[in-house]
Amino acid sequence: MIELQISLLITSIIGAILAGYVCSTIGVFVVRMNLSSIGFCMSHAAFAGAAFGLMLSIDPLVSSLIFSFFTAVILGPITEKAKLESNVIIGFLFSIMIALAFIFINLIPGQAASGVSLRILWGSIFSVGYNDILMLIFLSSILTIFILIFYKELMAIMFNRKLAESSGINTKLFYFAVLFLTAFAVSLSIRIVGGLLVFALIINPTSTAYQFFYDFKKIIIFSPLIGIISCSIGFLISLYTDFPIGASIVIISAIFFALAIFFSPKRKKIK
Amino acid sequence: MAKNNYIISLENIDTTYQGDKIPVINNINLKIEYGEFVSIIGSNGAGKTTLLETINGLLTYSKGLGLIFNKEIMENKYEIRKKIGYVIQNFDIDSNAPFLCKDVVMSGKTGKIGSFRFYSKEDWDNIWYSMSLVGMIDFANRPIGKLSGGEFQKILISRALAQKPDLLLLDEPLSNLDFSSRKQIEKLLNRLNKKDHITILMVSHDLSFIPSGCKRIIVMHKGKIISDGNKNEIINSKFIENFFKNEMK
Repeated sequence: MIELQISLLITSIIGAILAGYVCSTIGVFVVRMNLSSIGFCMSHAAFAGAAFGLMLSIDPLVSSLIFSFFTAVILGPITEKAKLESNVIIGFLFSIMIALAFIFINLIPGQAASGVSLRILWGSIFSVGYNDILMLIFLSSILTIFILIFYKELMAIMFNRKLAESSGINTKLFYFAVLFLTAFAVSLSIRIVGGLLVFALIINPTSTAYQFFYDFKKIIIFSPLIGIISCSIGFLISLYTDFPIGASIVIISAIFFALAIFFSPKRKKIK
Repeated sequence: MAKNNYIISLENIDTTYQGDKIPVINNINLKIEYGEFVSIIGSNGAGKTTLLETINGLLTYSKGLGLIFNKEIMENKYEIRKKIGYVIQNFDIDSNAPFLCKDVVMSGKTGKIGSFRFYSKEDWDNIWYSMSLVGMIDFANRPIGKLSGGEFQKILISRALAQKPDLLLLDEPLSNLDFSSRKQIEKLLNRLNKKDHITILMVSHDLSFIPSGCKRIIVMHKGKIISDGNKNEIINSKFIENFFKNEMK
């Protein structure tokens, strides 16, 4: 077991829980709005952005947020200009972002470069600072307030975007709000879960919740709960085994998803 | 802008899809008065759905002038949509979709209620009433993905009615219904038009699906209006007979 100071331990577990909350909450919208591919691309752009920040010795949170959101925003116009399926452009951007990330990692100055690179690749329980916790609390609050205030608009959009637009909701505004919150969640969680795996934390808990419920309200409640539990167990496994925390969290959330598929009441045959 | 008595007033409207050069609907001139019940017929690809989506501002017209409730469509789209109930052409819904029927119907009211406000008891009463109008009140707590095509269509109609619209835009609303459900919805549409004075513009690809309350028919072909007039005259005319014969060839 890694020996940690109590304060560092508390900071780390709170960081993991908050990352679980923000990623799996925003995941509900990412999955239902068919933004999975965009989100996947954004999480890798955030990874490239974090590497870029470390290379230039600027705050990696800011650079990953810019990279991630910028990627989401340019995706539409590029798809339109190239007259190709958005998935083709997503694949193209994804490979560029990964390539850029490795180039930036290679250029990170100083002797600590390799350690830092590994942290943003796989995540680390050591990398959560007091400021990260404050930012995660801020994002958790924004996300919760956003859902409470705009629940009915969000639900209408989740059901069918065209119908929601036709009944007077400015769906573009909510679409960009979800993209921005996704970029924010990914950028903040990258240090804990790692750039290569953070997207799994967005998709897995939500996909697990979708196996059990037909009521959108319950999905909104249970997805973050599953995310928090996955992060907490993943954190403990990482603490006791020295496994990378990101990998531990993702494996736990994947096990939950596999169990959900197996036990899902939606798949039970009527006798 | 001069006031007129038309709920829909389209002058020389072209609508072109983004990236395309040829308009899908071309030089459309259409005036519909308050309280009318009008059906649009035409074969697949005639531009019927594009016309409906131009009217509620889901598609931006590239030429001409479109007024709904005497307001220019694109500048006032969010305002005018709150008074328009829209039933989309049947779309596939994932059988595991996490929505209950009552939530889907309620979502029709969301734009009208506006942000920063929760549903009131009056809103819910309105939902139960809209569901009972289409005979779906017992389905309130059922998952939307578990309904048959016809039941789903009724929920979409109920959703449009929940909005308490002044104008109903219906895109093939009767296409998935069995005979008795179709008669039930036809009767409801006739009543909404006659008693509640809701203006109805309904798209249909089948002449036999036009409710008795509808008095005017518009025929579309290849993005143009090729005939517009009294229902009986159009149905009985040689023109429509020849038109559909040619279409079948």
